[in-house]
Amino acid sequence: MRRAGHLNLRLRRIGDASVVSARGDIDLSTVAQAAEAMDAARADRGPVFLDLREVGFMDTSGLRLIIEEQQRAAAHGYRFAVFPGSPKVQRLFEIAGLAGDEGLFADPSTLPAAGEGD
Amino acid sequence: MSASHEQNRFVLLASIDEVADRGVLLGETVARLLEFVVPAFADVATLDTISHEGVFRRVGSRVEGPGREELEKGLLRRRPIPEGPVGLPAALATGESQLVERVTDEHLRAIAADEADFQLLRALELRSVLDVPLLARGRIVGALACGVGTSGRDYGPEDLRFAEVLSARLALALDNAGLSAALSGLEQRLEITLTNLAEAVIVRDAAGSMVFANPAAARLLGLTSVEEITTAAPGALMALYDVFDEEGRRLSLTDLPSMLAVRGERPGPLLVNNIIRATGEQRWLLHKATPVFDASGALSMVISVIEDLTEVKRAERAQRLLAEAGQALSASLDYHQSLQRMAELAVSGLADRCQVLMRGGNGELEEVAVAGAKVAAEPRAGETDEVHGDELAVAAEVVQSDEARLAGRVIVVPLALVGQPPIGALFLGMTESGRTFDKGDLSLARELGRRAAIAVENARLYAERSMIASTLQRSLLPPELPEIRGFRLAGLYVAAGEQNEVGGDFYDAFEVQGGWMVVVGDVAGRGAEAAALTSLSRYTLRTAGKLLGDPVATLEQLNAALRERPGLSLVSVCCAVLRETGGDATADVVLAGHPPAFHVRAGNPEPVGLFAPFLGAYASGEWTPVTVHLGPGDQLVLYTDGVIDTVGEEERFGEERLVATLHGASGATDAVARIEAAVRDFARGTQADDIAVIAVERLLARR
Repeated sequence: MRRAGHLNLRLRRIGDASVVSARGDIDLSTVAQAAEAMDAARADRGPVFLDLREVGFMDTSGLRLIIEEQQRAAAHGYRFAVFPGSPKVQRLFEIAGLAGDEGLFADPSTLPAAGEGD
Repeated sequence: MSASHEQNRFVLLASIDEVADRGVLLGETVARLLEFVVPAFADVATLDTISHEGVFRRVGSRVEGPGREELEKGLLRRRPIPEGPVGLPAALATGESQLVERVTDEHLRAIAADEADFQLLRALELRSVLDVPLLARGRIVGALACGVGTSGRDYGPEDLRFAEVLSARLALALDNAGLSAALSGLEQRLEITLTNLAEAVIVRDAAGSMVFANPAAARLLGLTSVEEITTAAPGALMALYDVFDEEGRRLSLTDLPSMLAVRGERPGPLLVNNIIRATGEQRWLLHKATPVFDASGALSMVISVIEDLTEVKRAERAQRLLAEAGQALSASLDYHQSLQRMAELAVSGLADRCQVLMRGGNGELEEVAVAGAKVAAEPRAGETDEVHGDELAVAAEVVQSDEARLAGRVIVVPLALVGQPPIGALFLGMTESGRTFDKGDLSLARELGRRAAIAVENARLYAERSMIASTLQRSLLPPELPEIRGFRLAGLYVAAGEQNEVGGDFYDAFEVQGGWMVVVGDVAGRGAEAAALTSLSRYTLRTAGKLLGDPVATLEQLNAALRERPGLSLVSVCCAVLRETGGDATADVVLAGHPPAFHVRAGNPEPVGLFAPFLGAYASGEWTPVTVHLGPGDQLVLYTDGVIDTVGEEERFGEERLVATLHGASGATDAVARIEAAVRDFARGTQADDIAVIAVERLLARR
């Protein structure tokens, strides 16, 4: 049975970049976990990427996390971007008026070794 | 010498032996010895001792006949002159018995120290004298001097020989007495030691009577003198106390270690809870008893040492009570339940009765927890019956003055946080145990009161918070949707999760300049913080909407308000302004971080709205209205993402399923009912998010 609350997170360092790969659902019940992973990723001040390609579902709490990170990055001068997820996930960015925000999205193939997924 | 004379002398020797065997105190022995000698063998006799150090001491004198008291005193004061040629000085000097068969004045002058001494000796009217050294264990331990005269008797060599036998017995008796004197010196020293010992010591004889007690024992048992112990009738002392073991079982005299030892057992230490009946003073006493056996193996006495463990026991009890009470008080946010548990704990360790009184809504004290029976006990002399008096009045005084009270069997402490006025009082009473409280109990009660106050305060704060939250939530839901001419409204609100976790969804409908504003919104986050944000959003929208009438300007107002808050406050909103102009109805729909509304026309749902950023995310945004025409029977359905995010067996509810659900909807009420039923059928597990839906139906124009 599929339920809310399943999220696996992995943090990788690629060069000076940190990549948080999420697999599962980012929603109210898992967003705190995701926030922790983002805190860990941010430690080195290098670019931070959130890989949403394996995310099955995301709700506004995930979006809130992303907007927060985006604003923090702007304030502290580091790059933050997401690897776009499924159409359902991207729909959320659309609803939030963020679909056209090119700076928010990155192509995983631009990072060496990051494009291979896991 | 007659047979009876011989017989008398044997009796005399036997008597002396008997005295010797008794081994009682020296002075007593001497007096009794001389009683046997005078008048049976002499009319005048004196007894002297010589110590190891050579100190001569006249220990007794006895004279038969008239004026005996004066003469005895005179003789007792006499000291033999050291170089006397005859009599006692000669006996002491040579160690040999001296017999003077015929005493003359010359004789007396030779041994008299002076004229007065001579006159004293003459007054004895002596005819014959015998002076016999007393030998024991190879040394001269003293001398016996005997004289006859007033009785008409004379001494001869035979008498001298008897005197020598007699003196051997006397020497033995004196020696024994001396030893026992040394022994009694030891006893005295022991007694002095015990008297000054901090530990209480009581000695029972083999029959169980208390023959010795030291002052510490008297103090510990609440008595003023040791005589109260040593002269008490059997069992009388025990009647002064209520004695319990650690488990609270009542003990009797025969349970005490000292009495077990008297019965021949070798008991282990026993800790007893000793309560003085008269005063209620309580002490924890550790009784230890050791039987002492004599050389033959018979029990000679039982020595009990009683240790006062009150402080140790209280500290231990205080620690345990506070730990348990702390647990009980933090176990539940329902403070009534916590206080009740605390009261029960207090009754098991500190008091017989515990009552917690707190200020109610009207400021009056109310009983909120109670444990222990309210058993009537006779008040002692000088004790006011506060236990059974007006507890509320006493507690009210304590709360008023913020001062704890300790009065015999009652402790009342305020329930207060440091620096705060009391919120109530903790009332402790002693009833059936008869104990009284002391300062140790008071400080424990104070600490208990402080912890209870903290628990209550925490619970109240929490209750207040959840009350604020639910009040906000209630205020966020319009109690009733307004009647709008030309339209019909229907709404649905389902709060998610636990009752205290107020979600951030809301809907509202209110009149604005030239029309009506209908809105659904979703605030990120949960709990009191979300409720506050929801409240801010809803009332800002209402106020701005009424003032401005324009949906975009209204959302910009809310955006500005959210940006002023610390941190990131995100709100998504779907806002529609309904207008009716000449039978034509329109809706201006604006989205901010929100999924599209659905316009249901002839049963076909179509999404409405242009996607735009959340309110609160950016300093400015491009929020753009989309206008739809609402024909008769058309519906406009606004909803929050709780609907499409609803968790099902395999996936989320999603927008497609919502479209399918609304397909064929016949009106506002039907649209809402369909969503409610579909979501309910679809959902699995606990509902994670709030759901808010509002549907607007355009009614047939009636002109």
